[in-house]
Amino acid sequence: MTAPALSLAHVRRVFGGVVALADLSLDIAAGEIVALVGDNGAGKSTLVKIIAGVLPPSGGRILLDGTEATMTSPADAQARGIQVVHQDLALADSQPVYMNLFLGRELTKGPLRRLDRRRMIAETERLVQALDVRIPSARAAIRDLSGGQRQGVAIARATHWASRVVLMDEPTAALGVAERERVERIIAGLRARSLAVLLISHSLDQVFRLADRICVLRRGVQIGVRRAAETTPNEIVGMITGAA
Amino acid sequence: MLRAPASLRGVDPARYVVYLGFLLVLGGFAVALRNDGFLSAANLLNIVQGATPVTVMSVGTVFVLTAGEIDLSIGSVVAVAALVGAIVLRGAPWWAAAAAALLAGGGIGLVNGALVAYLRLPSFLVTLATMGLLAGVARWLTDLRSVPITDDIFNGLFGSGALFGVPSLVLWTIATVVAGHFALRETKFGAHVLALGDSAAAARAAGIRVRRLRMQVLALSGATAALAGVLYAGRLNGARYSLGETDLLTVIAAVIVGGTRLSGGTGSVPGALVGALLMEMLNNGLILMGLAVSEQMMVRGVIILVAVALTLRERRV
Amino acid sequence: MKATFFAATALALTLAAPAFAQTRGPGGEAPTPTTDLKLDADEIAKLKGEHATAALLWHTSSDFVNAVTAGATDTFATLGMKVVAETDAGFDPAKQQSDIATVLAKKPNAILALPLDPVTSAAAFRPAVAAGVKIVLLSNVPAGFTYGKDYVAIVTDDLFAMGSHAADAMATAIGGKGHIGYIFHDAAYYVTNQRDQSFKKTIETKYPDIKIVESQGITAPDQGEKVAQAMLLKHPDLDGIYVTWAEPAEGVLSALRQAGNRHVKIVTLDLSEPLALDMVKGGNVAAIVADQAYALGAGMATAAGYGVLGKAAPPFLVAPVLTVTKANVEQGYQQSLHRAAPDSVVKALKGG
Repeated sequence: MTAPALSLAHVRRVFGGVVALADLSLDIAAGEIVALVGDNGAGKSTLVKIIAGVLPPSGGRILLDGTEATMTSPADAQARGIQVVHQDLALADSQPVYMNLFLGRELTKGPLRRLDRRRMIAETERLVQALDVRIPSARAAIRDLSGGQRQGVAIARATHWASRVVLMDEPTAALGVAERERVERIIAGLRARSLAVLLISHSLDQVFRLADRICVLRRGVQIGVRRAAETTPNEIVGMITGAA
Repeated sequence: MLRAPASLRGVDPARYVVYLGFLLVLGGFAVALRNDGFLSAANLLNIVQGATPVTVMSVGTVFVLTAGEIDLSIGSVVAVAALVGAIVLRGAPWWAAAAAALLAGGGIGLVNGALVAYLRLPSFLVTLATMGLLAGVARWLTDLRSVPITDDIFNGLFGSGALFGVPSLVLWTIATVVAGHFALRETKFGAHVLALGDSAAAARAAGIRVRRLRMQVLALSGATAALAGVLYAGRLNGARYSLGETDLLTVIAAVIVGGTRLSGGTGSVPGALVGALLMEMLNNGLILMGLAVSEQMMVRGVIILVAVALTLRERRV
Repeated sequence: MKATFFAATALALTLAAPAFAQTRGPGGEAPTPTTDLKLDADEIAKLKGEHATAALLWHTSSDFVNAVTAGATDTFATLGMKVVAETDAGFDPAKQQSDIATVLAKKPNAILALPLDPVTSAAAFRPAVAAGVKIVLLSNVPAGFTYGKDYVAIVTDDLFAMGSHAADAMATAIGGKGHIGYIFHDAAYYVTNQRDQSFKKTIETKYPDIKIVESQGITAPDQGEKVAQAMLLKHPDLDGIYVTWAEPAEGVLSALRQAGNRHVKIVTLDLSEPLALDMVKGGNVAAIVADQAYALGAGMATAAGYGVLGKAAPPFLVAPVLTVTKANVEQGYQQSLHRAAPDSVVKALKGG
């Protein structure tokens, strides 16, 4: 059996004397979508920041494909194949889609290292087609796109550069119904690309539509992990609120 | 909205307003001054050569504004660099003087950049302070005295010389604009500057070293201002503390009219060139029209206002 | 101040150790009053036949420049010459250089100019010389330019006369004897230094009964008030104060008013509305010495006419100096700045 793409073992994080995350253990296999749910302040953002290399954990281990990894910066995490789709998208609005997709890793050609726009555009078009992200053109500026299209671009970028893990922080929070469905379809399609996806969402409907497993946090404590097929929204709500 | 041809898709139409405005003003003067030598080769050359230092400074300023920063110290850097060059020239060859001037300008820009990037101070305030400080340095360097330059190579290369019949100032204009345009449109550096000005968060999330980039951009601005200072010194065969003092606003106007956004994320080097030529052409044409100085200022103000209004209006979709 | 302040500044750089008795030219030439320039009827007729043109290349825009321009333009009109361009370099020698290049496209016969700086203006003005343009200079001479070959004449304020007129006015105001304070510009600045020294020298040599009991330098105009307060404390018996230029004199006036002192007489240089107003109201200000910018412009234009005709002009011309008191304040404004005295001053004259 192969090691999980991402394995968290007894990860904890303390701010001053406050425990933001206590003893979390979670494995995500390649091609699996795991949802992380919990109320505000449950520790979801802290966990994302730890995996993305923004915060170092106070204790515990992180393993990527079975190898222990100590990530010191976001760039470090990216180099190890981890990508984040941020809630605020982090796209450059006036730049075209293809430049956003390749931002920081632009393709160049020739001795003068000129930007290879043609190749970047071609690759962008191939990728958005494969993910079924419907945008007017790879040359369109981000600001001319709809919210769903932007989210699609952000996901496309993350999948393009992630070799292991994609973290999604509320990817459909700002979208209408039709656009949300479209983005959910794109996320579901990531399974086929053998990426481990950690999805943070407030919408239990969405979580049940997309996730293979659901991990529940409450006030920094891991309450439990359930297979989506073997649980009910009621059980999860109970775990989130502590009413069970 | 008008559908742009495929090759222009994703390109801002406001970018082209300046070219239209330039042609209109050129045509207007050509008609109004048809008997006054406006279109003579000598006068058109006057315009290009007169605009050269502002053009060179504009190239650096395009990068700074595109990155979402501003450099108010460029006018003072011009004087400091020109004086440094002239002083070094007293005891060293022309190339050492030019190098010293450029290093001084680039170094000042680097300090500006370090203060902005690492102390997280707004560039507006940092460069406002260094602008005053450097104006003082320029006065102190030679105690307000002008420094003559008698080195023929220096004066020829950076001033009144020519290569194959093309005046050296024209060559400097072309070289700076081509290099600047290439750097902004065709390199990773330019792409990162555009992204930084658009969204610093996006640039950071993409793994771009944002602080280093800010420093590079301000150093570039200092270096182009220093080159402008060297060109002034070559043209005037001397350096003086007041050089460049009035150029800051001309440069910013030229760059903005040329389609670079004051808030960052969009920039055009050829636009800035045309903006700078437009400014100098206004100076030139309004003088040739025989207007009183006060009338020249009013007309120039109105035309710049119209140009800026058109440039900025188009941009808000 | 403002206006004339710069008008003659850089002369310092070109003048070879000026002799003290009078303002001297760059080659030590004796001054000729601009009013001595004369063209006879034949010469004027000949000049009119030339349909000559002139360009005015100024360093800035100011009251002073406006008056010089008016004097020059009016005089050019009488000579049948047309002003085809006017520029303002905003104290920027590089801008002045491009102004010259621009103006040359109009091929003027003559240029009136204040070169911003002897060193950097040499390269700027060379193309005009090469184009055969007759150049009349205000105050500054570009380095290496020679009279007769590169330029027609240089015209400037008579700084020495301004200082000595101020001394005479002070003597008149305090009745030829008494104790005075001397507030001078404590900076290496040719215009003010020449005027201040001339005032002091004239008092010391011409008026033995007047004693300068306190000398105090200032480096910025806002220091006038504090310096005057200190002077009044130390010397309650003061009869007059000389102030290097109008702006600090306004501070001195304010100090006197605060102290309720109506005895001390102020003499200063360059017209200013608050000072003129105090003067006509019979306050502390006794006299304001001013240059005659309009006459200076007229002299430059006439000299340009000499140049176009190929007639040699005297190399070094000085503008007449004027002492403005309550009696002649209205003509004073006309003669110096070629405009009416400010309304407030005229009203005060009528009222009182």
